[in-house]
Amino acid sequence: MEEVIFYAFAALAIGSALLVVGLKNTARALFLFFIVLFAMAGLFLFALADFVAITQILIYVGGVLILMIFAFMLSNKELLADLQHTSARFLSLPNAQSLLLVLGFLGVMLYGIAEWQENTPYWITENIRRGNIIQPTDNNINQLGVKFMTQYVLPFEVVSIFLLMALIGAAHLSRKEEDR
Amino acid sequence: MIDLVIHIIIPLAIFSFIAVFTLFAVYAERKIAGFVQDRLGPMETGKYGMLQTIADILKLLQKEFITPSAADKVLFALAPVVIFTAVFIGFSVMPWAPNFIPADTHTGLFFIMAVVSIDAIGILMAGWGSNNKYSLLGAIRAIAQMVSYEIPIGLSLIAAVMITQTLNLNDIVFNQGILATEHIYFFGVWDVTEVGGLFAWNILQAPHLIVVYIIFFIASLAECNRAPFDIPEAESELIGGFHTEYGGIRFAFVFLAEYAMMFLVAMLGVVLFLGGWNTPLPNIGALKLAEWTTGLYWGIFWTLTKSLFIVGIQMWIRWTLPRFRADQLMNLCWKVMIPLAFLCMAISGIWRILVMV
Repeated sequence: MEEVIFYAFAALAIGSALLVVGLKNTARALFLFFIVLFAMAGLFLFALADFVAITQILIYVGGVLILMIFAFMLSNKELLADLQHTSARFLSLPNAQSLLLVLGFLGVMLYGIAEWQENTPYWITENIRRGNIIQPTDNNINQLGVKFMTQYVLPFEVVSIFLLMALIGAAHLSRKEEDR
Repeated sequence: MIDLVIHIIIPLAIFSFIAVFTLFAVYAERKIAGFVQDRLGPMETGKYGMLQTIADILKLLQKEFITPSAADKVLFALAPVVIFTAVFIGFSVMPWAPNFIPADTHTGLFFIMAVVSIDAIGILMAGWGSNNKYSLLGAIRAIAQMVSYEIPIGLSLIAAVMITQTLNLNDIVFNQGILATEHIYFFGVWDVTEVGGLFAWNILQAPHLIVVYIIFFIASLAECNRAPFDIPEAESELIGGFHTEYGGIRFAFVFLAEYAMMFLVAMLGVVLFLGGWNTPLPNIGALKLAEWTTGLYWGIFWTLTKSLFIVGIQMWIRWTLPRFRADQLMNLCWKVMIPLAFLCMAISGIWRILVMV
């Protein structure tokens, strides 16, 4: 049962991702992107990373995607049509080269998986042997919180300062210019 | 096998509850509107007009599907489903009674926040798919409002979670009554673990949560796009906002989602701040009122009563206050509620460290 759902999510993610790239209709592609993100969140759940899954939905669907759709809606229609026409040349390679690139990436990933299967790192086998693994019923949130405030406190604080900078920058940009 | 059946029955039960709730909430809304505006409301269909909403839904169900010819057909058809599902999933982690909860997850509260934000995508889909100026304007207004008001909601939830120390909604309710697993203090001084009742609710465990609850309540009104925050569907300016083009059963779904959302945020407020399924009656000496009124059926009764009371207040406010202008709305959110919520969050931290220890 779980496997069926897993493969359904995977197929959904890959299929809609292909459609996002292929569709001519930008608005539909953006809404399809929502399905990609949602299916990805489902896959995260299978990795027992429920916090990551929910954050994915909250940040990407609730924030980034809405921003993208807004940017699309508020931009000029002629400008967009222009962009769609030129996109065949702009930032895109001839088919043969892009095929080569894609195959290269696929090769790297397959090689990575094969390598991983053959020589699994020691710490992973060791922890599996000792039964030191996450269970679906475990409370990961507590662990995450403790880790954030102890081991990873510096990256955590740096990220929050960065976000604060972005916030202040946005507020400054949207402020009315004073008359001089 | 039995598990599978339960997994199917629970969503069906929640769906039928939402449907029945919506029918009677619409009736109640029209009666309250009538009372506030000094008229009678629905009177003709059935005794006191009680069958009015059933007649309405029958009419909606048999109307034909009308899709505007210039609309984006796929997005237009899918939008009501997305809007409703987003709210519907939110109910999956709401506790109804002690250990009576569809999904007892450690991330319950966070999950609700995430799922409810999907609602915004559905509204955008509806607004864009209708290919209608009014719909699009309504959708853009709705999103601007929902995204802004998600911040005070999030901050007020964080302020509450700092007190409860868990995101699991089941545990949050447990620690607000006589079944608490740790000691709880009324105003941080008087041990009420045995007394329970009203005194053990979160808003009275840490009094600044009363302010937080008011912030949450106001922001949740905006999140449901209800008056006085209903500029997304301002009838006098935008006809009907993002659902202008919808008719028949699709409109019914948009409507169902709106009322389900009202109940969901009311229930979330009750669970987080007002004790959830815990009874308001305390134990007084030998008079064990709290113990007598705690249990499965009592739990459902208290959850329903409290939530419906809050929904009633939402309706009362809708028909009493005039609509905010867009700039007033944003001012209220960014200049009043967010700083206040931040302050409350800081107080929560101090309270947790200094008072609750």
